[in-house]
Amino acid sequence: MGKNSSRSFGTVLWLFAGGFVGGTLLAVVLHILTTGKFEIGYLLDLPSWLLGALVGVAALLYGMLGYWGVVRGLLWQVGGTVIGSLFVTLVRWLLNLSTGSKYTLFDLNTFGFTEPAWVFGAIAGAVAFLAGVGTFTDWFKWALGEKTSEHHTDELGWRKYFGVSLDHKVIGIQYTFTSLLLLSVGGSFALVFRTELAKSGLQFLSLQLYNTLMSLHGIVMIVSILLGIAGVMNYLVPMLIGAQDMAFPRLNSFSFWVAIPAAVLLLSSLALGGFDTGWTGYPPLSVRAPLGMQMFFAAIWFAGWSSILGALNLITTVLRMRAKGMTAFRMPIFVWASLATSIISLTATQLIGLSFQLVLFQRLFGMPFFDAAKGGNPVLFQHLFWFYSHPAVYVFVLPGLGIISELLPVFVRKPLFGYKWVAMSSLGIALVGFLVWAHHMFTSGMNEYLRVPFMYSTLLVAVPTGVKFFSWVATLWGGKIDREIPTPMLFVLGGIVVFLLGGLTGPPNATVSTDLHLTDTYFIVGHFHDTMFGGYVFPFFAALYYWFPKATGKRLNEKLGKLHFWLMTPSFLIMTLFMMRVGLLGMRRRIGDYDPALSFDPWHLAMTIAAFGIAIAVMIFFINIYQTLRSGEKATGNIWRSRSPEWQVPSPMPVHNYDQQFEVVGEPYDYGLAGSVYVNMHSEG
Amino acid sequence: MIHENHSGSLRQGLVVFIILAFLTLVEFFIAITNQSLLLLSIVAIIKGGLVMYYYMHVYKLGEEGDKDQHSFDWKMRTNRLGLWLFILSDSFVFGGLLISRFNLLGLTRPDLNQYLGLVVTAVLLISSFFMNRAETQMSNGDQKGFLISTAVTMVLGVGFLAGVVGVEWQNAPFSVGDSAYSAVFFMMTGMHAFHVLTGVIFLGIILNNGRRGLYTSEEHWGVEAATVYWHFIDLVWILFYPALYLIGRLA
Repeated sequence: MGKNSSRSFGTVLWLFAGGFVGGTLLAVVLHILTTGKFEIGYLLDLPSWLLGALVGVAALLYGMLGYWGVVRGLLWQVGGTVIGSLFVTLVRWLLNLSTGSKYTLFDLNTFGFTEPAWVFGAIAGAVAFLAGVGTFTDWFKWALGEKTSEHHTDELGWRKYFGVSLDHKVIGIQYTFTSLLLLSVGGSFALVFRTELAKSGLQFLSLQLYNTLMSLHGIVMIVSILLGIAGVMNYLVPMLIGAQDMAFPRLNSFSFWVAIPAAVLLLSSLALGGFDTGWTGYPPLSVRAPLGMQMFFAAIWFAGWSSILGALNLITTVLRMRAKGMTAFRMPIFVWASLATSIISLTATQLIGLSFQLVLFQRLFGMPFFDAAKGGNPVLFQHLFWFYSHPAVYVFVLPGLGIISELLPVFVRKPLFGYKWVAMSSLGIALVGFLVWAHHMFTSGMNEYLRVPFMYSTLLVAVPTGVKFFSWVATLWGGKIDREIPTPMLFVLGGIVVFLLGGLTGPPNATVSTDLHLTDTYFIVGHFHDTMFGGYVFPFFAALYYWFPKATGKRLNEKLGKLHFWLMTPSFLIMTLFMMRVGLLGMRRRIGDYDPALSFDPWHLAMTIAAFGIAIAVMIFFINIYQTLRSGEKATGNIWRSRSPEWQVPSPMPVHNYDQQFEVVGEPYDYGLAGSVYVNMHSEG
Repeated sequence: MIHENHSGSLRQGLVVFIILAFLTLVEFFIAITNQSLLLLSIVAIIKGGLVMYYYMHVYKLGEEGDKDQHSFDWKMRTNRLGLWLFILSDSFVFGGLLISRFNLLGLTRPDLNQYLGLVVTAVLLISSFFMNRAETQMSNGDQKGFLISTAVTMVLGVGFLAGVVGVEWQNAPFSVGDSAYSAVFFMMTGMHAFHVLTGVIFLGIILNNGRRGLYTSEEHWGVEAATVYWHFIDLVWILFYPALYLIGRLA
């Protein structure tokens, strides 16, 4: 749609869709030509899809030739992977080691690289992507002692989103777009295996493919959430604290772009045999899993750096870039929540990286960290892994809970109840979150005396979370909500209800005696889907509806927004409540088949239908975005009557945020109090 | 603005170095006599504290600086905070490795050449002394002295790498896949050696830019960053050296 782009964004997406369908059909035709018979199953065959995806991506790259940055990056990644793999193969050949693969690809041996060659190639490819897209350019100049421009020099229109940009608003939108893309991919995986589960017995998936899709659903969603919160934080935090940009704009852009090759690596594991461990990657199973496991480890290692460096940048920004008068206790709650989240991401993420790196090295070099026969200890992996991966759920939900606290006062026109307590509760959750990891290991054979302290520390998380709920309820109490509830407020209220369900189903898992029964059942699956939807998905959608006009100057359609909400919420509740029910009755998680004698079939069928309901709701959301961008209602003013500084300037946000004098003179959430002022802004000259 | 010399004097750097060297010998002595885990930990923490305060100048994080966001001072302080946050993050990797070492090996240690361990430790410690000297000389405006001290630091860093990867790895009485001992040893030294390698590259960059006269006694953030990073690598080895060579019985 931009004047400079060679093709409109819509055309590019159509090219991808056309390529995908065409490629899949081509694969089916090839099947028929080679085997001489036609089976409908070919359409659902993984190789067919892979060929479709390959052709689709090729069409996408062709369509995006105008948007050079990301295309060059992807081409370099492919080149880097091939060169890296060839290099290791050559070295192995010179050292007289085996150069052939023990794995096969689509029953062909075409890409028969060894595992070390693939791993080195994957890493080389990711680095090549970053070089190709251009994130290193300025840093190389600095190392050579050259000066670089301090100002954004972005291209116009759509093009700026497909190359390196130093503007935090552009990077925020890049993150959010990628997050929604991965949300669709991860969600589609869930739809596939959810359909398989609708009936007992195996319908159309193999167990290996089921395991891979189930594992990928988990990890793709996690990466999507990490990018989603990074997107919202990147877009909002500098605006909310009155800064012009993040503290380190180049690092900011690097943090985003390093996630792209990570996502490519993650999805490439599908083509390299998949992996069957779930997203947790426990050894010893992950030591034996197919090559896809290594791609998964390498991908999460890179995605982890995205998270770590983004957090580093955000903490520095909040500590150093606040506008005049923005004291600690005048910061918006969302900034506090982002700070708490970033403290966890900055530190704990290193340990998931380390745990995966140790397994990766055990596979590559035979270092027996987790091989009990040689003095290793598999439980050590779980400690390292959960030291990040439990606090990670607070990384996911804290920004979302911050959004709820941020939006509630705007819509009920009342001050936020207990501002200081809410601000501190985010830090409280983050700090207690560091002390609870072993509650994932009650049944894994760790020392039994550790169970009780971890049970109590876990239950302690309910206290700061309860502070938040108390504040929300007290803020709502006696508030004035429009009869026609605006969509963002609907999602805020939905988020509170769903997160309450997630919160209440937590203590049974934290308590050792009940957890011994509930562990590894669908009850856990229901519980964490409730926490993730209540703490992330609902607030994330609320934030998108609320700040979309800020980013684009157009308001999302209310009718479609309400349809989105009223379709997604009941579907979601049916899905997770049924999950918990079958879980309590003994349905195991992570399995592709179940005993028909348990009579879970109708429940699973209902869950599958509900899952499709959620998918349709999200599709409606995408249609809403597309239509609004094409011909949406203009909204350039303060449409929510917010006191927050970003709404005091016209939408879309100017390039350098605030060109005027900016001084904070009051409390952020004094809605409905006559004469109260939060920010003073005077135009210069 | 009058430049305050927070980096201390050449003399202070030397005194700190002598104390660190003495404490290292004390460690070695404790290890060959009574093996006290408590004493070894206390000495390592004291050494680490000295490096963080006198060589890495951690206290500078708490100083109030220029409020103007376009000034060099403000940008440098922002960069300094970023660097320290990176170090905080990176120390979780090394912390995780230490935890893994004690989880897997307990109070036993791998069978390593004690004298070689002492020699490489000494080499890294001396390099830290020269690194501190280089930064102090730059603050005092001694460009030539800075170049010589940085070059010496680099040579010692390469010497450390040669000692660990070139000699220790080749002569270790076990190979990579033998046992948890070999896994822990190669992983810890390998991860540390990787950081030394990046540090050497960083030193090469500031040496090149210093040669071209891009740093002044007032404005030399690149030098400070390389210095803090190099001392951090030394700090990690101050904890890894006793964990690998001194603490525990022989397996």
